Amino acid sequence: MSAKTGRRLLLALLCLLAAAGFFLSVLTGPVKTSPADLWQLVNGHASGVETTIFLDLRLSRAVLAFLVGAALALSGAILQGYFQNSMADPFVIGVSSGASLGAVLALALGFRLAFPGFSAQGFMAFASGLGIVSLVYLLSLRKGAFKIETLLLTGIAAGALASALTSFLLFMRSDSFDQAVFWLLGSFQLADWTQVAAVAPWFAVCLAASLWLAKDMNLLAMGDESALALGCPVGRVRKAFLVLASLLAALSVSVSGIIGFVGLVVPHWIRLLIGPDHRRLFPYAALAGGTFLLYSDLIARTILPSELPIGVITAAVGAPFFLYLLHQKR
Amino acid sequence: MAPNITEILFALGLGPNIAGVTRFCDYPPEAASIDKIGGLVNPNIERILARAPDLVIAFRGNPLRVVNRLAALDLPVFVLDIGNGLDALYPLIARIGLVTRRETAAGDLAASLLARQQAVEKALGTVRVKPRVFVVLHGQGLWTCGGQSYLNDIIARAGAVNIAAPMPKKWVLYSPERIVRDDPDAIFILARSEADFARARDWLAREAHLGTVKAVAAGRIYFLDENSASRFGPRLVDVLDRMARAMHPECFGEKT
Repeated sequence: MSAKTGRRLLLALLCLLAAAGFFLSVLTGPVKTSPADLWQLVNGHASGVETTIFLDLRLSRAVLAFLVGAALALSGAILQGYFQNSMADPFVIGVSSGASLGAVLALALGFRLAFPGFSAQGFMAFASGLGIVSLVYLLSLRKGAFKIETLLLTGIAAGALASALTSFLLFMRSDSFDQAVFWLLGSFQLADWTQVAAVAPWFAVCLAASLWLAKDMNLLAMGDESALALGCPVGRVRKAFLVLASLLAALSVSVSGIIGFVGLVVPHWIRLLIGPDHRRLFPYAALAGGTFLLYSDLIARTILPSELPIGVITAAVGAPFFLYLLHQKR
Repeated sequence: MAPNITEILFALGLGPNIAGVTRFCDYPPEAASIDKIGGLVNPNIERILARAPDLVIAFRGNPLRVVNRLAALDLPVFVLDIGNGLDALYPLIARIGLVTRRETAAGDLAASLLARQQAVEKALGTVRVKPRVFVVLHGQGLWTCGGQSYLNDIIARAGAVNIAAPMPKKWVLYSPERIVRDDPDAIFILARSEADFARARDWLAREAHLGTVKAVAAGRIYFLDENSASRFGPRLVDVLDRMARAMHPECFGEKT
């Protein structure tokens, strides 16, 4: 089987899985519904309540989970290429925690307006996520190379600090328990179409930009000097990728809180399956990430009578995987 | 979407009209057989929607984002706050009566509760000696009710002084050191059952190292039903009655 057939097969499989995931998500919930009810909806015979449950509650949630998963996986794929290390991910590097801190800070200070099409929360999440990733970048860069231990430790320390500040801010507000769970462990419980509409265009922009720059990411993999010699504007490309990765992480965090390990596991699997070419890795990782989070959310909301935070599910899958990778490295 | 609201609705004779309650709504016992829509901080929107309610009564402890989401789905949501004293209970009952068209029943309920409250206050008269009390929630460290809580108000009405009153909060975690310093005359333990109460009492005397505190040494430790006292509903008047009788038995013609 040639590499091309293999990729096509994978693409078909992922699309099939995603479609099945959407179908299951729309059909499953605390209120019992059958495919026949869904068929009535398609034919326009469903009752108002059913329509709301199918479209406004379940479908919007599934679409949002898919978008967030795609954004996180793409952010992870970018960071892994950027740091040339398969253990980088927005959660491990501390970007997610930083973004969460920004969002909570915006809430606590009561910021309302920022950029058009971007809430104050989203903007602050982006700014502080970018701040954390730049800090980690500067601290772990030694003589033009990244030492993996420094990178991970700096990321974990910066993330822990950001999480502690987030907890502090939430603690200062008395009505904070559900907020704390939301911002620190993630949830799609209150997903709606306005959130989808806020995230989707930015995600599309980031995906397009990363595809456009994917060739340069391939050059960076050969080392900055070689890339420079081959005509890649290394400095600018690196900055662009850092902004993209933070933007993607901030988008996810501002609508769903911190969801760990998606950006770690998914790009890693995809790289094993289709190789390290970023032109393909980016879109495949996004598709797979969306599918992964779609199923994680399905599990999170059905496994127990009351919902689990989705971060619990992704960490249950991702953390052992992270440990396995760490073991392999040694 | 709160146990105290469920309780008030039942007291107004609206039990059969309730479409869904939270999983904490266990009083009156009939509430247990009503469909559950989730918890206080995580009510399930889909379940609420499927019941097709004519009215959703929420309270301030339900997350604002959930309330807004329900409103965005065109459900009429009425949000209530819990008060910081018994005085706020009667308007709360009246408002629930108003939105459910049970004004008369609500008026009667409020009047009978108020009459019982006034009876307690009259029996107490103007007591001179006001014992200093500490109220503790069993099971989670030394959580107590601060100066902004409605229990603080009830303690004052029962002719006693809450040692945690200077704390400007509803619920606060009190340190054992402070209790030793404040040396309360009596301690009330909010517990789910008599057995829990007995356990908590022993714990206070032994593990918490509060054996030297006056209340513990004199055995003035009393049981308060947590289920009644932790809900801003009609049974708060029972709590007031019980507390007043424990603090000033002489005023109720009981032997000291």
